[in-house]
Parts: sequence; C-alpha cells; structure tokens
Amino acid sequence: MTTDSITVISANVATSKARAELANRKSKISGWNQIALIAAKEFGDRFRSGWVVACIFVWLGAIALTSFFGLIQIGQIGAQGYERTVISLLNLVQYLVPLLGLLLGHDLIVSENEERTLRLALAGGVGRLRFLAGKFLGGCLALATPLVSGFVIAGTVVGLSAKDSGVAPFLRLAISGLVLGILFLAIGLAISTFSRTRVQALVAALLAWCLVVFVFDLVALGIMISTRAPAAAQEIEVLCDTTHINSAADIHSDFDSATETQSRSGQAPENPSIGWLAANPVDLFRAINLSGQTELDVPWPVTFAATAFWLAFPLAAGFWKLRRTDL
Amino acid sequence: MQPFLEFQSVTKRFNRVDALRDISFSIERGRVLALLGPNGAGKSTLFGCFLGITIPTGGKILLNGKMIADADRAAIGYVAERVALYPQRTVIENADFFTRLKGHSSHEAEEQLKRVGMSGARDRKIRQLSKGMLQRLGLAIALCGQPEILVLDEPFNGLDPALLDVLQGILREENERGATLLISTHTMSAVEPLATDAAILLRGKLAAFGALEKLRAENNSADSLEDIYYQIARGQYVTEEMFA
Repeated sequence: MTTDSITVISANVATSKARAELANRKSKISGWNQIALIAAKEFGDRFRSGWVVACIFVWLGAIALTSFFGLIQIGQIGAQGYERTVISLLNLVQYLVPLLGLLLGHDLIVSENEERTLRLALAGGVGRLRFLAGKFLGGCLALATPLVSGFVIAGTVVGLSAKDSGVAPFLRLAISGLVLGILFLAIGLAISTFSRTRVQALVAALLAWCLVVFVFDLVALGIMISTRAPAAAQEIEVLCDTTHINSAADIHSDFDSATETQSRSGQAPENPSIGWLAANPVDLFRAINLSGQTELDVPWPVTFAATAFWLAFPLAAGFWKLRRTDL
Repeated sequence: MQPFLEFQSVTKRFNRVDALRDISFSIERGRVLALLGPNGAGKSTLFGCFLGITIPTGGKILLNGKMIADADRAAIGYVAERVALYPQRTVIENADFFTRLKGHSSHEAEEQLKRVGMSGARDRKIRQLSKGMLQRLGLAIALCGQPEILVLDEPFNGLDPALLDVLQGILREENERGATLLISTHTMSAVEPLATDAAILLRGKLAAFGALEKLRAENNSADSLEDIYYQIARGQYVTEEMFA
C-alpha cells in the first residue's frame, strides 16, 4: 500500500469519525426546558412592556376604591371586613379579570405568526404543543403576578384596617378570581390560534367578553322564563343574584337582612339551574363567591368539572387548530 | 444502505392549488443540494414541510430512515428568506433565546455572532438592523450548535459581493465540517461553487434531480448550473414562469 493511499484512507476515516460524531450530537434539551424558556420569554416581554406593572397598579387601585367605596350605594363608606369587601369586589372581578385574561391571551400565538417568529421556533425543534404550553404558562405568569399582588396587598390592608380575621371569603375570591383569569386566558389563546391577524383576534376576544359577561345571562334567563316559567319564577331571584343582573347593592341588603335574621341555611331551591351556571365560567365564579349570601350552593364536583372543562376545551381546541395551521 | 434524507411522494395542496406534487428524492450526508425553480414553484413549501412549518398533504420525509420528528429539528439550522426575529429584543437576546431553545449554551451564540461579524452589534435592537445585518444574524442563529443540516431559503438575495463572499466561505466551512446543506436560490452563480447536487422544481413537480455531473451529462454537457436549469425548464414548457 502506498503512502498516498494510506493518507487518503486515514483522511476518510477521520471524516467518517467527524460525521459519526456529528450524527451522534443530540440536542440535550428536554421538552420541559423548552416550555420553561418560552414561558420565561413571554413573561419577560410582558414585564418589559410595562403590562405587568400597569396591571398591578390598576388592579390595586380598583380593589382599594371598590373596597373603600363599595357600600356607597347603601349609604356607607370606609374600609369593610372581608365578607363585605368580597361582595363589593365581585362585579369588578367578574368584569375585569376575564377581560384581562382575554386581552393577554388573544395575541399569544397570532402575533408570533404575524411576525413570523413562530416559524423559526418550530424549525428549531420546538413542537407545536410545547410552544402552545410555553405561551400559555408565560401568559399565566403575566396574569397571576398582578392579580396575586393586588389580592395580597389589598387583603392585608383590609384585614389590618377592619381588624377582620375571617379571611376565608376573601381567599375564595382571590383563588376563584385567579382561576377565572386563567380560564379566560385559555379562551384567549384559543381565539389567537383561530385568528389570522391580531385585529381579528382582538375583535373576537372583545365579542367573547361581551357574550359571557353580558349577553349570556340575559339569554339564559330569557330561555328559562319562556320555556318553563312557573318553575323558573322560583329560581329567578337566586339566579339573578348569582348572575350579574342583580347589583351589588341588592346583595349587600340581603347580607344585612340575613345578619339580622340569621336564617340563611337550608333554603336551597329543589331544582336550581346549576347547568346554566356551569355553562358560563363568570356565573360559576359568582355563584361560588355568593354561596353564603344566596340560597344556591354549587356542588364542588360540578365546580371542578366545569372548571376543568373550561380549561381543557379551549386549550385542546387551540392545539387542534395550531396542529393544522400552515405557517 | 438507507439515505440520510429522503423525501417520499411529498405532496402539498393549498385549497385548489397543488404546491407540491409527488416529490421524491434523497440525498446523502455531507452533500450540498441547490434547489432551483421559478417563483411559486414550491421551493419554500418543500423546505416548510421539512422544517415542520408547513403540514404536507401526503408523503413522508425520512431522516436516517425514520420519519422526521420535532426533536430531530434541533439538529437543523434554518435561515429564512426574510429573517424574522423579536423586534423589541436585542441581537444577543434573540440569538441566545433561539440557541437555548435548541439546547445549546449562550456561549455558542456569542461565538457564532463573532463568526458572522455581528458581535459589535450585539446590544442593538432588531428593528435597528439593516437587511444584510439581519441576514447575518439569521445565519449566526442557524449555525449555533453545529447543525447536521443547514436549510437556507434564498440566502444570497440582496447581499453585496463582500458579504456574499463571507457567506460562501462560511457555508463551505460548514460543509467541510460534515453538514448537509439545502439551499434554495435564484442566484445560481452563487450556489454553483458549493453545490454537489441540484433539484429543479417546476409548478410543484420535480423536473430534475441528481449530482451536478450527471445533470451536466444529461443536458448536452451544459457549462453551468444556469444552463442546466434553462435547458430543463425549456424542456418542460414553462419559459414564462422561468423568467418570472
């Protein structure tokens, strides 16, 4: 064998080795790490844009004002205990939190698609499910930070100023409010995957908000009254309390009369329209938080099942759509 | 022996338009494929199918004999025709994010920025970059982690001669390292010094594929890649598209 051919063979062996090494180079990143990276980036972007900080201030201000002036409709003013504060805050939470969730979620995917950055992420080995999960978790962080901060600060102030130790209703409000926000973030995310442009997504998100916060209750009550009026008549007052239709003032009045008579238990109607409440996360939220003031007590299995459905369904729909979308 | 990368009857239909029609070919590791064709021939769609951006209507894409999966794409570097990154973030933040997403270190991103001459602009926002700088940044991100396959969609568009030279040098180095290169382009003179194989797409169909020597021999000893392309395109009666 000549020296030349030995050189050629050893060069070929070296090249083959280099190529084999290259072939064996596997990415060490796990799916969880990719999800965490995307979530951290999403939260970082929201934080830098001022969204998180602005939300903290808006939320804190809204809670403080509502808590302090919440009883103005019945001629009182000043810091109230936890239970009163919860009643005053209900409307604010049920209007504002779904809106925050939808506004945060509506552009999570569509903006990445419009700016064509989603293509680069997918081409780099990020699966569509992981991308969706990362964006959702990042959105949850961006939503939870102002909400939790607001509830913790406001809760502490209410507790100290009203010298109230019965924090359970407030905790229930905070946790259910956070869950409500996350459900609407998931709905916003689904809207984002189905939309072609950010404008389209924004319009769809606002329509969804109007539908669940305003239209749904009126339509539901209208259907109930027109289809089974005698039975509905017995439930209508309860349902009006647990939907947005009754004002906070009415519930505060109920609260006062209940405190006087101490006769609230054991009066649940036989056939409460829990199905209607479970069909709308906002109504479910309100029913959970008013279980002490109204005669309607939503069973926990129904609450969990409805919550799981409203979380899983939009996420699954969003993933279904994203898997079928050409970018 | 199974081919390194194989396209088996890949088809893609957008509503009523057949963007890709039964595309089948395979290439070995370490080759440089020039993907040629007029605008709308399906080059970017074919790359999109390979990269998981576009969902094929039918067919299979195999890497090392197995259906390509999301995880396999971490070993692919991709430079889009129009490099799109997060505009509110800086050069280094973008490079770092996409590098770490593939499981490589931030140090790798710094190294590749240096390699493409972008380390001086590391703290500039994406919206402040020129097209050429954006192209270089896209290349740096694609090069992170020594990818097995580099996919470049029209990489030579709008580059000045000096930058073209730099890009060709880097691509040559990557190929010598063992990377397989898939390059779609209209600038045939720029890809010719690098290419070992060529595939010509016309109206979504594979009009020709093979090693350059073979294609030259089959096309009356054509002198250049451009000659090969025009001869094949003329033969397929799509001269109007060819000049589009």
